[in-house]
Amino acid sequence: MTRWGMVIDLDRCSGCQACVVACRQENNIPVVGREQAAMGRAIFWMQIIEEREGGHNEGRTRYLPRPCMHCDNPPCVKVCPVGATYRNPEGLVGQIYARCIGCRYCTAACPYTARYFNWYEPSWEPPREKSLNPDVYVRPKGVVEKCSFCVHRIRKAQRKAKDENREIEDGEVIPACAETCPSKAIHFGDLDDPDSEVSKLAGSRRAFRLEEFLGTDPKVIYLREGEWSE
Amino acid sequence: MAQIFPVWTNKIPVYIAAGTIILVLAIVGFFWYYGSPWYTDVGYRPAQPVRYSHKLHAGDLGIDCRYCHYDVEVSAVANIPPTQICMNCHKTIGTDNERLLPVRESWSSGVPIQWVRVHQLPDFAYFDHSAHLRAGVGCVSCHGNVANMEIVELKKPLSMGWCLDCHRNPDTQLRPRNEITNMNWTPPADQVQFARKVRSENNIAPPEDCSGCHR
Repeated sequence: MTRWGMVIDLDRCSGCQACVVACRQENNIPVVGREQAAMGRAIFWMQIIEEREGGHNEGRTRYLPRPCMHCDNPPCVKVCPVGATYRNPEGLVGQIYARCIGCRYCTAACPYTARYFNWYEPSWEPPREKSLNPDVYVRPKGVVEKCSFCVHRIRKAQRKAKDENREIEDGEVIPACAETCPSKAIHFGDLDDPDSEVSKLAGSRRAFRLEEFLGTDPKVIYLREGEWSE
Repeated sequence: MAQIFPVWTNKIPVYIAAGTIILVLAIVGFFWYYGSPWYTDVGYRPAQPVRYSHKLHAGDLGIDCRYCHYDVEVSAVANIPPTQICMNCHKTIGTDNERLLPVRESWSSGVPIQWVRVHQLPDFAYFDHSAHLRAGVGCVSCHGNVANMEIVELKKPLSMGWCLDCHRNPDTQLRPRNEITNMNWTPPADQVQFARKVRSENNIAPPEDCSGCHR
């Protein structure tokens, strides 16, 4: 069985936000507008978290792209009273919008703040609503949503492999964020396959996971910035 | 000595009995209604802008489904044919038939005919025609015998439970791939053995996971 995971190389990330934009476009993420965004109601399936070190004109900025961690021991699943979110056999933490009652327990339970609530009916600036991705359902008002690891792309690749009667190959599934990343910081693949790119990268000495002490067992693995030999 | 229980307590058994009856009726009614054609819209048969007869075209004339719905094997959606497909034949056949008036109007004005959709799944359920056809599920399995319908109507509930029945056990619905559009195909006596063989050969494992359809 595959166990999908992502490796993000922070040494390569330049904080350009291309993944954030690609994710919005791919997954029909609604735009809430400036006022609502200031109230913390903007939705980001992929978000760049910024951290500044040092003063205004000195020091440096670190960037950390944050998708859903698709934890192997997800805290959000345990609190859902209606079973609208679940961990499937491939390790993806799925969200069934039609079942969600919008109680937002999962939003509160997620230590990575990867879950977002739809406060309004989804809307886009006029020409954009005609360019939605038909493979991804547009979430109505009152449900929680989050990064799906581009599950529609996974299913498409799996079906293609099935039609051609072969196993799915490493690197065949590429989420929108990984596809668009100009510095190729994001890698995606099967963590259970020891020969896959992500498995090899996950074994790196630079590898770490966010909030590991919580025991959530996240499947997004970061590679910390390496030592510069200056 | 005063009585321990006041008089109204004599009615408690009656209340409990009445409450039980109401509860049972409510539970039965709930499942009965949500499984009934009133809720699932089975039998929905809207009037179409053209009095087109599938029975005549697909049944009596024997035109293959894919002559008009040509995208069905490669696309997620089975396309509604454009007017141009109708006019392939009707440029020369039935040119003065008044039933075809809206078709000719659409042909000359370039405005598509507004067909009414009969089989409508909710947006939150993803359905792919090509995947089902490649697995060997015939049109009849979900659409009923369209070649017998004067006006197309909804024959199956298209509910999640109904989808899952087949996804859990597709053996009865699989057929050879060259028979998928055959409305009168009858399963052979060894259907189960045949289905098992096809399933292992073509690697057919219908998803039962939520994210198979809800994505």
